[in-house]
Amino acid sequence: MPEPLVAARPLVRGLVGDKAGAWDLAGELPADLLTDLGARGLLCAQVGTEYGGLGASSLANGEFTAFVGGLCSSLRSVMTSQGMAAWTIQRLGDAGQRAEHLRHLVSGGLAAVAFSEPDAGSDLSAMAATITPDGDDVVVTGRKVWTTAAAYADRIVVFGRYGDGAAAVVVPVSRPGVRVTRVADPLGCRAAGHANVELTDVRVPAGQVLGGTGQSLPLLVTAALAYGRMSVAWGCVGILRSCVEAVGAHARERRQFGTALIEHQLVARHMAELYADERSATLACAHASRCWDEGSPDMVAATVLAKYTGSRHAARGAATAVQVLASAGARDGHAVARAYRDAKLMEIIEGSSEICQLMLSRHALAADYS
Amino acid sequence: MTEQTTAETGVPTPAEIESHLLEFLEARTKSAVSPDLDLFASGLVSSMFAMELVVLLEQRYGVAVVGGDLKLDNFRTVQRITELVLRLRDA
Ligand SMILES: Cc1cc2nc3c(=O)[nH]c(=O)nc-3n(C[C@H](O)[C@H](O)[C@H](O)COP(=O)(O)OP(=O)(O)OC[C@H]3O[C@@H](n4cnc5c(N)ncnc54)[C@H](O)[C@@H]3O)c2cc1C
Repeated sequence: MPEPLVAARPLVRGLVGDKAGAWDLAGELPADLLTDLGARGLLCAQVGTEYGGLGASSLANGEFTAFVGGLCSSLRSVMTSQGMAAWTIQRLGDAGQRAEHLRHLVSGGLAAVAFSEPDAGSDLSAMAATITPDGDDVVVTGRKVWTTAAAYADRIVVFGRYGDGAAAVVVPVSRPGVRVTRVADPLGCRAAGHANVELTDVRVPAGQVLGGTGQSLPLLVTAALAYGRMSVAWGCVGILRSCVEAVGAHARERRQFGTALIEHQLVARHMAELYADERSATLACAHASRCWDEGSPDMVAATVLAKYTGSRHAARGAATAVQVLASAGARDGHAVARAYRDAKLMEIIEGSSEICQLMLSRHALAADYS
Repeated sequence: MTEQTTAETGVPTPAEIESHLLEFLEARTKSAVSPDLDLFASGLVSSMFAMELVVLLEQRYGVAVVGGDLKLDNFRTVQRITELVLRLRDA
């Protein structure tokens, strides 16, 4: 793992401290925390050193993402958005756009990525937002919903229709016609700055449109989501690890019927299942990250599998953790209560469990075990 | 001297690229694939699979499929994919 990501752990642990619960209750992360971590390149650690980034591998960044996710899923969600924005710019942008936007993202700038609309959730082909050329500008119009980190971001990568095809455009939030409204009281990742983004005739220079035109929406979305899925999957590993620690500590300490909870076999089974869930999620993520780092085509399916496994295991594991902590974990703000709410949402975003199942079922048809 | 083979130059010929691709596609789809078969109309290729092809081309031929080249049309047939590789390789 590159040195900066190792050194970053005590730093992040210090900055988060015991405040994740309070941030969750308040629904807000401190702005200076985000700009500080952003300026250190830690919110999107895979950005290359040529842009001032840390140049981390997927595996190293994944382990770091799990570390942050174990402390605070809201902060990890902001990392997922920032990293997905960076990856989208890397993948779709030209050399000049990469230089400009990636540098911005590792020097304190914050970005979000907006696909979803009121009528386009799982079915992004129903996307209605438009990006229309007009002289040297493009005009962006549409309604985006549930954009993670949009409440903190200064730039939003907006996906929309462009002629017969599709495009992604980087929209500065300060432009006239951009309205960002927080989603009130999200079930989980409450401090991640989810917001609805209304774009009314927003004019930006055509040079903000990433890459060429005439691209295909499904391929653009698939390319962009790959990073988001990997990041969510590792974040779920973090959720599971925080649950393993919380359950372990509680089950050793708490005594009922004259003995520590862990001595009751039914509780021990909870501990074992939770641990097995964490380990298998970790293995799925590590495999996908290695495929990513090797540039293997298997990374596409491995990433979906990691996201599917990670989120399902996290949702199940967090429910188990609440069960074992019982009243001790039954208040909002507590680590396992947050895990329970945060993990459930991970089964919905970046391709719900059902959408992942549809993709995996098709992939399974090609399985060859010979 | 001009008739160099792959073994000498290390650079796959268009015919070799096409046959590599056919091999990969047939293994992954368990169906017969011809160079001009419309992979999307035939239902053999999803956008997830197209992304696999993107990564495959990048790994095997050292090209970068980015920006405006990320369109499904470039992946519609094995012939088109081969043309894409040749164009990116010469760029
Ligand atoms: C915490 C959170 C953060 C988010 N962050 C972002 C963000 O940063 N950017 C962004 O663009 N969006 C974001 N979203 C939106 C998210 O991507 C969508 O919620 C998600 O794609 C699902 O869409 P939907 O909520 O409209 O559900 P729907 O698409 O209406 O689905 C409802 C249910 O039907 C199932 N379903 C739908 N279609 C099928 C099918 N064909 N077969 C079987 N089952 C199906 C789904 O799996 C789900 O269970 C976020 C959402 C949440 C909750």
